[in-house]
Amino acid sequence: MTTLTLPPLGAAARRQRILGVVRRDFAALRRSPIRMFEILFWPTVELVLWGFVTLFLQSQRVPFVVTFLLGAVLLWQVLQKASNEISIAFLEDIWSRNLLNVQVSPLSSVEYVTGLMLFALGKVAVAVMVMAGLAYALYGFGVMTLGVGLVPFMGVLLVFGWSLGLVGISAVLRFGENAQVIAWSLVFVVQPLAGIFYPVSVLPEPLRVVAWFTPASHVFEGMRTVMAGGAVPWDRMAWAAGLNVVYVAATLALFGWALRYARRHGKLSRFGD
Amino acid sequence: MAILEAIKLVKRFGPVTAVDEVSFGVGHGEVVGLLGLNGAGKSTTLHMLLGLITPDAGQVRVFGMDLARHRVEVLSQVNFAASYVDLPGPLLVHEVLDAFARLYAVRRPKARVAEMIELLELGPLRGRRMMDLSSGQRTRVQLAKALLNAPRLLVLDEPTANLDPDAGDRIRGLLSRVAGENGSAMLITSHNMREVERMCDRICFMAAGRIVAEGTAAELAGHYGVVDLEEVFLKVARG
Repeated sequence: MTTLTLPPLGAAARRQRILGVVRRDFAALRRSPIRMFEILFWPTVELVLWGFVTLFLQSQRVPFVVTFLLGAVLLWQVLQKASNEISIAFLEDIWSRNLLNVQVSPLSSVEYVTGLMLFALGKVAVAVMVMAGLAYALYGFGVMTLGVGLVPFMGVLLVFGWSLGLVGISAVLRFGENAQVIAWSLVFVVQPLAGIFYPVSVLPEPLRVVAWFTPASHVFEGMRTVMAGGAVPWDRMAWAAGLNVVYVAATLALFGWALRYARRHGKLSRFGD
Repeated sequence: MAILEAIKLVKRFGPVTAVDEVSFGVGHGEVVGLLGLNGAGKSTTLHMLLGLITPDAGQVRVFGMDLARHRVEVLSQVNFAASYVDLPGPLLVHEVLDAFARLYAVRRPKARVAEMIELLELGPLRGRRMMDLSSGQRTRVQLAKALLNAPRLLVLDEPTANLDPDAGDRIRGLLSRVAGENGSAMLITSHNMREVERMCDRICFMAAGRIVAEGTAAELAGHYGVVDLEEVFLKVARG
């Protein structure tokens, strides 16, 4: 064992490898003005769009709380970005033909995924902070309206987004680069089930059952309850958190299986060809 | 103890047997060349030795450990460079090396990166983006990355394919020096027979997924009754 490197199975080495992924992705982001721009551009477009819808509905004296649309679009960004950013970070290794370098390093799958998640967390945090500032400046909507529920709401969405992102990465590992579309679009499949802009009660019965097993639906239902003056539905949050634990465990297992499949079929060697 | 042991490796992709019961070893400080035509199974073999491809049968033992069971411990002491692999384009050269120094858990990453930049004469390129470098310059950064963890086993897939003769010669000299000083073992594929003759202590020829000849350059030339490795290659390739 060379003294040049830390003991590979020690905590310090694991920490250094995870932070290596985060630093690398952060450096790539810093060097790419288009990617920096993209973090804020689409969320801002959505915020402005739904902000004007809110103003219109308010001017028509629609008899229900319409500001929840702004809360919804803010929280939706947490889910969407958490899912997409983790997929993009992985896909960038394929696009830049760097995946082999990463896969022959001592970085374990768990460390790699942890690094991707931490980096996605940073990007989500930046995007949400900017959007929250804009929502307040443009429409007078304060994100603190969500009160103490804000933290669990965002936490549940973040973790659920990571799970979706892992499904997208697993699809690419299993089916090849053509499956990138799954990585991009999976979160939009969840959108109608999550009751983001309407209550889950408007869904037909079978979809309501599916929504019950979608952690995001409990967040958006909870958000509407809080914005209507109710208390944070902690029982729903606990259920959503429990679902997240199951989904993260399942998608990590799926990722591990997909990676083994890719190694067995020589797919890692062919990415980016 | 052998640094690397490939034991009866087999890999099939559908009906095609890409690697068929390949066995060989690389000893401490030894430089072994893996030669063969395109499609002979060299890269598939290398990728099995690096854990990128799981063999259908056989075993890879590195530093006496089973690669499949001790992946992290093994790969922390191995490194790899290939002409068909790139490093992240938007990153600056020193950022790329810093990131990989951390992935290999190098103790003092910044100091080690500075050493590699000096060793590979990358000083003037240090602050340039990877995507703006020539292919030869990118190869030098790849090699700097491959030496970051002072690997006990260095696997190089056509390491000088993109270099001009002068740069290629310098890199060959550097790699030979590194192998000599650190006692690093190397496994190299190349289509440059002069490079292989100059660098390799032993050569394994692959054809149709099998090792069909093995020995020093002189032994192989003698065995086939020819004057150099280039002619050995042609004899083996043409059956």
